[in-house]
Amino acid sequence: MTVKLWNFFPREALYECYQCARCTGSCPALEVAEALGPRETILKCLNLGHDEVVEDERLWVCCTCNVCEDRCPQKIPISDLLVALRNSAARRGNIPDKLQIAIELLAKTGRSMIVHQLDEMRAHHGLAPLMPVPIDEVREVLKKTKLDDVIEF
Amino acid sequence: MKQALDDMDKKANSPADLRVGVYVCHCGKNIGSTVDCEAVAKFASTLPHVTLAKDSLYTCSEPGQEQIKTDIREQKLNRVVVASCTPRLHEPTFRAACESAGLNPYLLEMANIREHCSWVHLHEREAATSKAKDLVAMAVARAVRLEPQFELSVPVKRSSLVIGGGVAGIQAALDMADAGYQVCLVEKSGSIGGRMAQIDKTFPTMDCSICILAPKMSEVGRHPNIQMLTLSEIKEVTGHIGNFKVKILKKARYVTDGCTACGDCIQACPQLAPDEFNAGLSIRRAIYIPFAQAVPSRYLVDMGLCLNNQGIVACDRCFQACTRKCIDFADQDKIVEIEVGTIVVATGVDVYDPTALTELGYGRFPNVITTLEFERLINAGGPSSGELIRPSDRKRPKNIAFLQCIGSRSKRSNPYCSNVCCMNTIKDALLIKEHWPETEVFVFYIDIRAFGKGFEDLFQRARREGVTFIRGIPGEIIEDISNGNLTLLGENTLLGTQYRYTMEMVILSVGIKPRSDAPIVQRLLNLSTDTDGFYMEAHPKLRPVDTTTGGVFLAGAAEGPKDIKDSVTQASAAASRANILMSKGEVKIPAVTARINTDKCVACGLCAKVCSYHAIEGSKELGYYRVVEAMCQGCGACVPECKFGALDQAHFSDAQIVSQIHEALANEPERKIVAFACNWCSYAGADFAGVSRIQYPDNVRIIRTMCSARVAPEWIELAFSMGAGAVLVSGCHPSDCHYNNANQNTVRRVEKFWKRLDKLGLNKDRLRLAWVSAAEGAQFAKVIKEMEQGLRELTPDQVLETKQKLAKRVPRKGEPV
Repeated sequence: MTVKLWNFFPREALYECYQCARCTGSCPALEVAEALGPRETILKCLNLGHDEVVEDERLWVCCTCNVCEDRCPQKIPISDLLVALRNSAARRGNIPDKLQIAIELLAKTGRSMIVHQLDEMRAHHGLAPLMPVPIDEVREVLKKTKLDDVIEF
Repeated sequence: MKQALDDMDKKANSPADLRVGVYVCHCGKNIGSTVDCEAVAKFASTLPHVTLAKDSLYTCSEPGQEQIKTDIREQKLNRVVVASCTPRLHEPTFRAACESAGLNPYLLEMANIREHCSWVHLHEREAATSKAKDLVAMAVARAVRLEPQFELSVPVKRSSLVIGGGVAGIQAALDMADAGYQVCLVEKSGSIGGRMAQIDKTFPTMDCSICILAPKMSEVGRHPNIQMLTLSEIKEVTGHIGNFKVKILKKARYVTDGCTACGDCIQACPQLAPDEFNAGLSIRRAIYIPFAQAVPSRYLVDMGLCLNNQGIVACDRCFQACTRKCIDFADQDKIVEIEVGTIVVATGVDVYDPTALTELGYGRFPNVITTLEFERLINAGGPSSGELIRPSDRKRPKNIAFLQCIGSRSKRSNPYCSNVCCMNTIKDALLIKEHWPETEVFVFYIDIRAFGKGFEDLFQRARREGVTFIRGIPGEIIEDISNGNLTLLGENTLLGTQYRYTMEMVILSVGIKPRSDAPIVQRLLNLSTDTDGFYMEAHPKLRPVDTTTGGVFLAGAAEGPKDIKDSVTQASAAASRANILMSKGEVKIPAVTARINTDKCVACGLCAKVCSYHAIEGSKELGYYRVVEAMCQGCGACVPECKFGALDQAHFSDAQIVSQIHEALANEPERKIVAFACNWCSYAGADFAGVSRIQYPDNVRIIRTMCSARVAPEWIELAFSMGAGAVLVSGCHPSDCHYNNANQNTVRRVEKFWKRLDKLGLNKDRLRLAWVSAAEGAQFAKVIKEMEQGLRELTPDQVLETKQKLAKRVPRKGEPV
């Protein structure tokens, strides 16, 4: 199912960008990893088309902290753009394996990571065991939000 | 309305006396190839009161004009109609021709059959010809109702007021004073000099700023024609072009003329405050002189800081220290009243305060400073006597970063480019390199805008001297608390790599913005401002120093960000414009002013409320209101406000416009769009559609008013009750109105009419309000196309329903049934 990216982000806002790179300078993800900086994302969307961006796995390194948007002098809703791009990427199957596994785990166990060792640790610290997760409810939520349209689980 | 028309007809010359000459111009092939001009002329000759109708190849040519003059003399014509191009082009030409033949120039009417007809219906000869006939009929109907008008001549006082004592104000004052006119220069602070006095060097020539400014300042101080008022503010401005009465508040200085600026008093003063002139980098006392070269060279007391601020003398140390006994604690604020003919506004700018951009740490990190602070820092008269030191440890920084576009080009601060910061930074960078060549200088920029004469050269020189330019503004500055050094995080966009620079000092190249008190002067002088808050010029290209208020001119950065050279240029231009008025000694007011019939006036005062020029005066006690013609700008916004028929506008009278509506809707009214267009934007926009040859449907009939606010709801009502298909009211975009936002009245009246149509259950889409600027020809064409689409869906029943429902309305008080 194709969903138009520009339904979720006002394309005109991209033209406001004059590539000052304040966003990239503020990006914590770029500090630690090979990420696709907000400036580069916008420039590529403008000059090469968003297909180029959607197929780039570096898109997933962003941690949606929104600092770029906070500091953007042109008030471009950058985080909306990044979310829209990643939605689009996920629909096209460009989703990193690790993320894929996390979602599968979420659907199967109700948690995004494996926790069977945690109970021992918790007991050691005098904490009660983790509450069981209502898996059916979680799956229902995932279906209602149509995540199953995008990712198989 | 009909009554008004009849009244008017009776008042005008009796029909037998009316002799109209119609001239249909081919304009070469511009009109002739689309419109059958001969047929139009033939048709015109059948119209009532038309004595003769001719077509000619070029009516505006010398022979064409001669023909008109000859006919006026020989055929005793007393009205002339020229059907040719837009009146915005050749109305002055034909008016002059009429006048030279002894006919009052206001008895000329033009039908625009080029821009509004032949050029926009290029391939529809028949439709264009029939439209041209309609336009000529409308023009003839209006022409027979025209009245001779006489332009009022207002005397202009040969004196001027300059508001603001920066370099622009100084230049304007000197230019006018040298031309022989009396000038009053009003400055808010304790000395003239303004921003330029604070700057160390000027670009691109690297002149010492105060060295070139100080001689001009002292010239102002000693000029016999200049009265200089410092510590003064404008409190009230009344009157109009040629004769303004101004009240100025002259604040107490507490130091008399005897002061020799010896400085003995400052040693004695116990009170301290940050020195504004040094951008807060040094301290001053409560008694101080703004700066060494100040004019007037006199100390002043900051009463907010002085211990004697309640009128009680608690401390007299300065008084004791002053050998000449020049300190007078009894000094009081005074009101000075002056009368001037012209006003030059040179209020200048403030600098942007970057505290709000928290990621840069200005205000928290001592080594992050602004460019204005840096100017003072490296100035020999500044806090460090010209030594390059950083605030935290007073040591010379080894490397310095400049950050561009701080507070400019941003929706978070000011959206415009501040114009001076790029070159200012390059100049500062070069200064550092010249004096301390071992210092590393980095400039972080988005775009370097080196557009002026000698600017690019300076930019290249800075690069050769070793200044590093890095494209990409840092996103964040982190301070190392142990040594005050600053780490800049960002991206070099040209290399596409992340950077992390550690700098010992960071200078924010801050933008400039309108002064915080600019709105006060704006209100006092009835100026308009653009969206950025700068004062707006009367025309951005052709009247760049005039304002919409007659006799008031703009100089310097108050009109928009400017460097020193541009400020001085504009100041001389403003002075020259003011000099024209003053040397002539009188000014003619176009005879399109509003007129009040005091017999009909009931003194309700509604008209005075809508006048944005305060040109209508009167009161209930007086029993009537009247228009001060010298102040009236001729928008006509007041006229529709009068419910008693006491108001009318010269040359755009109700009767004249109503006659145009009648003619426009004479045939097939349900197919017609009656479009009211304001002279400055929408009519010009329709002209521009013509010039651009943008084709649109032929069923629109444009009626020109000076402002869209002149459009009376009664006209709209008349058009609909005559069966008009649609009505368009169009004007300048709300902030661009040429009459101080008079078009907000247009919005109010149209919205009221929409409500009425709604209440009557009628389709309100048939009345459209559209903003079309003079550059938006395509927009005008688009609006007309959309309206014509609406007409296609219109049924005869709907037209009839509107006619009947609007006709049934209850007549208003005082209106004949």
